[in-house]
Amino acid sequence: MPNTGASILDKTYPLGDFYDEMFASPDEIRPHYRVLHDYLQTLSPADFAERRRLADTTFLNQGITFTVYGEDQGVERIFPFDLIPRIIPAAEWAMLERGLTQRVTALNQFLRDIYHDQRILREKIVPADLVFSASHFCRDMIGVDVPKDIYTHIVGTDLVRGADGEFYVLEDNLRSPSGVSYMLENRTVMKRSFGELFARYGVRPVEYYPQELLNMLKAVAPQGYTDATVVLLTPGLHNSAYFEHTFLARQMGIEIVEGRDLVAHHNQIYMRTTRGLQLVDVIYRRLDDEFMDPLTFRKDSLLGVPGLMNAYRAGNVVLANAIGTGVADDKAIYSFVPEMIRFYLSEEPLLHNVPTYLGLRENERDHILANLDKLVVKAVNESGGYGMLIGPESTAAQREEFGARVAANPRNYIAQPTLALSRHPTVLDDCLEGCHIDLRPYILLGDKVTVVPGGLTRVALRRGSLVVNSSQGGGSKDTWVLRE
Amino acid sequence: MLARVAESLNWMARYIERAEDVTRLLAVNFNALLDTTALDATAGWESIVTMNGDAALFQEIYGQASAQAVIEFLLWHPLNPNAVTACITHARENARSVRERISSEMWEHINRLYFLVREVDRAQVIRSPHEFFREVRDGSQAFQGVAQATMTHDEPFEFIRLGTHLERADKTVRLLEAKYLDVSRLPDGSAETALQLIALLRSCSAFEPFRRAPGLSLETNRVVEYLLLSRAFPRAVLFCVNACLQSVGRLGDAGPGLVSEQSRPDHPQRSLGRLSADLEYLDINDVLGERMDAYLNQLLARLNGSSADVARTYFNTRVILADERPKQQQMQQQQQG
Repeated sequence: MPNTGASILDKTYPLGDFYDEMFASPDEIRPHYRVLHDYLQTLSPADFAERRRLADTTFLNQGITFTVYGEDQGVERIFPFDLIPRIIPAAEWAMLERGLTQRVTALNQFLRDIYHDQRILREKIVPADLVFSASHFCRDMIGVDVPKDIYTHIVGTDLVRGADGEFYVLEDNLRSPSGVSYMLENRTVMKRSFGELFARYGVRPVEYYPQELLNMLKAVAPQGYTDATVVLLTPGLHNSAYFEHTFLARQMGIEIVEGRDLVAHHNQIYMRTTRGLQLVDVIYRRLDDEFMDPLTFRKDSLLGVPGLMNAYRAGNVVLANAIGTGVADDKAIYSFVPEMIRFYLSEEPLLHNVPTYLGLRENERDHILANLDKLVVKAVNESGGYGMLIGPESTAAQREEFGARVAANPRNYIAQPTLALSRHPTVLDDCLEGCHIDLRPYILLGDKVTVVPGGLTRVALRRGSLVVNSSQGGGSKDTWVLRE
Repeated sequence: MLARVAESLNWMARYIERAEDVTRLLAVNFNALLDTTALDATAGWESIVTMNGDAALFQEIYGQASAQAVIEFLLWHPLNPNAVTACITHARENARSVRERISSEMWEHINRLYFLVREVDRAQVIRSPHEFFREVRDGSQAFQGVAQATMTHDEPFEFIRLGTHLERADKTVRLLEAKYLDVSRLPDGSAETALQLIALLRSCSAFEPFRRAPGLSLETNRVVEYLLLSRAFPRAVLFCVNACLQSVGRLGDAGPGLVSEQSRPDHPQRSLGRLSADLEYLDINDVLGERMDAYLNQLLARLNGSSADVARTYFNTRVILADERPKQQQMQQQQQG
């Protein structure tokens, strides 16, 4: 491929000690990135800017936004998007797919177990007090049978690649993970901007996700309903993910409802329509457990449906995901997932956990307190980059404050080594930069496990930043899983 | 469709229409009052406030009516729930909550209108309000046109149409109520009468259509008849009632297996149908003169009744469940037997 002049690839960046997704070394491009690299070389900065403009216009016109809180009642922003796709070769994806399937299967069995026989607790594989003291452990779910024993219908596992080139699971996200609409919209935009590249790469499609989601939701409907009524329950238009809620409801052709649109009567759930009340079988809910039913959980919830839990316990309505799945998102319980895989499946885990020190264990707590400057300390129930101390970047005062918190409430803290997240070439101010990325694939658990080939690659758009969350200056990239 | 969504669409449409009607009323009377010397201008301004049913509130805030006070009160006074700015804000809030149900063009138009009324230079409007009046009217009409042209004409659309026409009928009746007495006291054929009648017609953009309508001379009785009973003019009460009736008909019957909803005594099809028939066969001579006021009052009450029927039938969705209906029917049979 002739180089026709200047291109955005002219200025590269030092690779440093990080794993770079495109460059194995400054002169060596990884095989699955070569076609992309050659292609980018044919684009002048002006060509690239033109495609950038095209993509921005598409996002703006389609109203693809999220809400940033704390600024005058929340402001709608476009989710920043980088045009250089992240590419995953077929063999690597096959490994991830197997690992994710294994992990989600074991987590689902764990949830079924702790809300029924509690074998894993009685055999002391997972400490019982850790589970019972988890803030998302839901006593109201004990002994409740859910259809087909499925708890985690939709999972969005966060994966990162370390300096060793291996993938690690950072979080499992078993409670209504968000972001899938960006995965779908990114693909639409990329097809418009770089259509010719898709022809050269065999990229596996992701567009069927909403249909697959709807099929799964119908498949878990209570016995005897062949044509189930499925609705999406949203907290309402002031929620940061409201765009995604309306997007998915539109794509699936189902009603998007708020709590006030539903009524419970004789242990059944109905929605209030212009033609009277209509029975609802499955609720894809994007509302937290504690807001679901003011009669069972938070009494001040204005977003839920009084009486919903009784209908749920009676088996007349399915909630996806089930109530109480957040217990396995507790970062201390996360550290036992490899044990769960061995216990329930008698298999060795295919995906790595990040090594985790528990504040709960005395010797590990001492290690955490002695190494606050090297470790990342996290509160077990926080996510989205909140409630954590990044040791190497912290001040002495911050370390002292966090150390006191850990000592006061050791069960609620864990620590992990600082991860050198892999980097990916990304365009910042018309220049190529190596920016840290993660990967959130989406997994559906119904009659079978479906891992959508792709996912949301989040990228830290602030130079040097390790935080990829959209609330903290993160953006996203399209993720291409190759056929062969 | 969801009852909440239907209700929001209905109110979105009503508020937009209300904003437009209030604006037109102000615009037209602003002109007419500038020309008037014989009539007391203060009384003229007062009648505009009365028309919107907010006289007591106005009295409390301003005491006496003046051009500036009335314009402020009707355009943006924060205590007036029916001020143009409040109407457009409510319309936008309703639209926002059902954004996925309306076309993006509709959303754009309502947004534009919202920012127009919010950011306008108010001192400038008081000095010279015509530009602003025109912009609000254009905004509302563009919104309604865009709704016609970009939305699927199915259930959600019918709720928009219903809201628009219920509001429009209400405003036309109120206009007649406020103006009829004064105008009917003037002798037909005088310049003053003509001036008042033209203002009345312009208040519902009816001047040109009225002039073109064959066989109608500019007399008080003919003007009233036209605004009440025209089947073709889109702001005439009969036209609006028929449009509502058509929408309710298209919204159709209740779901399968239920008792026919339309046979319910409070179904809007009944009240609107009766209202339409009554207007259709009305002898205008029966209600002219001193009987007009009572007649218009009754008309207003019946329109409100139909609005309430719409709300009860489609939005409130009474909690009567399918499995309770057989029991209810049995109870009714017992009483009959």
